[in-house]
Amino acid sequence: MSTGITNINNMSPELPLQFSEDLLSTPMFNLIHSFGCDMHYAEANIGKTTRMSRYERLSTNGGQLDGSGIDPAPEVVVRSDIDATMEIYAKTVVINEQITLYENDKVLTKFTALLGQWLREKEDLLMRDLYASSVSYINAVGGLNGQQPSEISRSDINNVERILLGNDARTMLEGIDAMDKFGTSPTRDSFIALASTDITTDLQSVQGVLLKNAYPSQEGLRPEEYCSVSRFRFFVSSKAAKIPGASQPSGQTVYTVPMYGLEAAAKIDQNNYSAILGYRPPYVVSSVAQNSQLYAKFAIARAITNQNWISGLNVTQRL
Amino acid sequence: MAFTILDGGSFTSTGAGVKINLPSSADYVKLVNITQMAVASPTVCVASEWYGSKFGAGASAANGGIRWRKSGSSAILIDSFATTAASDGFTYVTSAPVVEAQNANAITAISDASPAVVSQTNTYADGDILRIYNTTGMLQYGGMLVQISSSSSSAYTLTGIRASGLTAGTAGFTRRVSKFSAVEPGFLYVTEITQAASAVVRFSVDPTSHYALGMKIRFSVPSSFGMIEINGLTGTVTAVSAANYTLTVDINSTAFTAFAFPLTTASPTAALFATIAPAGASTQYDPATGLYTGYNFSLQPFRTGEFTPYLYASGGANSPAGASLDEINWISYKLEV
Repeated sequence: MSTGITNINNMSPELPLQFSEDLLSTPMFNLIHSFGCDMHYAEANIGKTTRMSRYERLSTNGGQLDGSGIDPAPEVVVRSDIDATMEIYAKTVVINEQITLYENDKVLTKFTALLGQWLREKEDLLMRDLYASSVSYINAVGGLNGQQPSEISRSDINNVERILLGNDARTMLEGIDAMDKFGTSPTRDSFIALASTDITTDLQSVQGVLLKNAYPSQEGLRPEEYCSVSRFRFFVSSKAAKIPGASQPSGQTVYTVPMYGLEAAAKIDQNNYSAILGYRPPYVVSSVAQNSQLYAKFAIARAITNQNWISGLNVTQRL
Repeated sequence: MAFTILDGGSFTSTGAGVKINLPSSADYVKLVNITQMAVASPTVCVASEWYGSKFGAGASAANGGIRWRKSGSSAILIDSFATTAASDGFTYVTSAPVVEAQNANAITAISDASPAVVSQTNTYADGDILRIYNTTGMLQYGGMLVQISSSSSSAYTLTGIRASGLTAGTAGFTRRVSKFSAVEPGFLYVTEITQAASAVVRFSVDPTSHYALGMKIRFSVPSSFGMIEINGLTGTVTAVSAANYTLTVDINSTAFTAFAFPLTTASPTAALFATIAPAGASTQYDPATGLYTGYNFSLQPFRTGEFTPYLYASGGANSPAGASLDEINWISYKLEV
C-alpha cells in the first residue's frame, strides 16, 4: 500500500539507462496565465495584505473661467484601493534511501526539477483561477452551434475589443510589420486572449483569423501562441478555465476566455519568499535516517487591478 | 504502515453540509454523531466513514461512504449512503469551484413568481449554491448560479430570481457547487437593478458573503438587459441586504432604461449575463457616523475563496453531518509515518 513516501515499491529501480538518450521528457502544460500581468513585490514584515492604489482621473467637464472671479468648484480626488492577500503554497517529496541507493538516475536532481516545475505550474493555475473567478464574462452569441453561449466568433471578439477600447485600455503586444513573404500578414498592436486548447479548431474558423505561421516574423513568438484575430493574440493551454455542463440547452462545457490589456491584473511576490526549494536530510526526517525530503514553497498574492481593462468571453465548442 | 491521526474536531450541525479542510489530504475520515449515538432508537445515521483513493477498489465513491445507522432500535446497521434510505454522503474536493456532492438533479418546475420557486425532489439545504442548466422555458437563467432558501425535500425558493412576467420553467437540472469561487471576491450575476438615485442591485446569490460597504463594483450589462447606461460604470457599495440579496450603489439610475431580463424566446441569441466584478474599494471615514469603509480585510482583498483539499460531509438526518443541533465529532487519518 502506498504511504506517501517515494520508495522502491512504488518507484522500482530502473534498468540502467543512458541519461542523454533514454530519459524522457516530463509533460508540462502551457504556462499562459501569468503572461501579461504586472509584477509587484510585497516587502517583508508589512503584513499579509498588499494594497495597490490608483488615482482616478479628474473630470473634464466644465472648467472655463467666466471672468467674474468665481473659482471653479474643486473636485474631490477619488482613489481606488485594490487589496490582495498573500498566500503560501508548498509541495514536498519524501524519498526513501533505497531509491537513491539503487537508482541509476540522479533522483534528487530530477525530483528537484519536478518541484521547480510544480512551482511554475501551480502559480499558473492560481492566476487562471483569478481570471476565471473575478472577471465579468459575456456569453458569445455570434456563433452557429445553437448554444448559449455559442462558439467564438469574430463579432464577439470585436465586441470585447470595443469594450476595452471604450475603457481606454492599452494594448499589450506591439504590431508585427508586414514583410515580402507569401501568405503572411502583419498584426496590429494587440491585447491578449487566453483560451483552452479545446477551442483551437473553432479559433481556426473565426473570420479573419491569422494563424501564427502566417505572421510575417516568427522571431520572439512564444510557443503557447496560437493565432491572432482582430486586436487579440490568442495563447492556449490545456489547463485554461472551463465550466463543465453549463451551456444552454445542451449542457456543454463552457470555456472562459479572458481578454485584457496592460495593467489589468497583478501578481505579487513576497520578497525573499518567491520560490524556495529545500532539502531535509535523512537524520532530520527519519528516526533511522532512511528518508530524506525535498520541498518547494512560494508566496503569491493576485489581483485584478483594473476591471475596465479586462473583459472576456464565455464560449462553447462547435467543431 | 500505521494510520497517523492528522486532525480532528467537532461541530454542532445546522442540518446543512459541512466542509472539513484537509491540508495534508487524508486517507480515512470518520464522523460520529454523538447526539444520536446516545439515543436508543432513532432512525438516523449515527456514524460514517470515508475511504480515500489509496484503498483502491474500496475507496468511497463521490457522494458515498460507509454509514452506520439505527433504524428504530438500538441495533447498529451498516450500509453505504447509496443504498437503503439513500442519502448524500462524502465528497472529496481537490479544486474549486467544483460540483460538490451531487449528480445532476432534475427540476420539474420553476415558477414565474418573484421570488421564483423551484419544484424538485432534493436534499439541498438553505444557503446552498446551485448551477441551473438545461432549462426548458425560462431559458434566460440557464447556466446561472443561484442560492436557495426555504428549502424542503420537494421545493426551494430562489430569493434572487424575480421571475414575474417571464415564462415559467417546466424542466431543467441543477448541480450543487462550492459556496465560494476559486478566488474571492468573484463576479456575481445581476438579476435586477432599480431606477433610483442610488441604484439597488439584486443578485442571484446573497452578495453580503462576498461584498461589503465601501467596496467598488463594476457593471457588465449587455444591451439585451435594457439598462445599457450602467454598463461599464463602477459604483461604491453604500448599503447591503442579506435578506434581499441586494447591494445599493452610489449610481443614480433614475434616468436609465429599465433593467429587464431578455425573454426566454430571445435565447440563445440574447447576450447573457448581466454581472458585476470587484473593482477595489473606496477608503473613507464618515465623521458623522464614525464609520470607516475600505478596511474590510475579510471580504475586500483578492484571496483564495475555497481552501482545498476538503471533504464535504452532507447534512441531514441520514447523512454524515447530521440534523440540526446534532453534535458531530470528526477525525482524519493518513497512511503515513
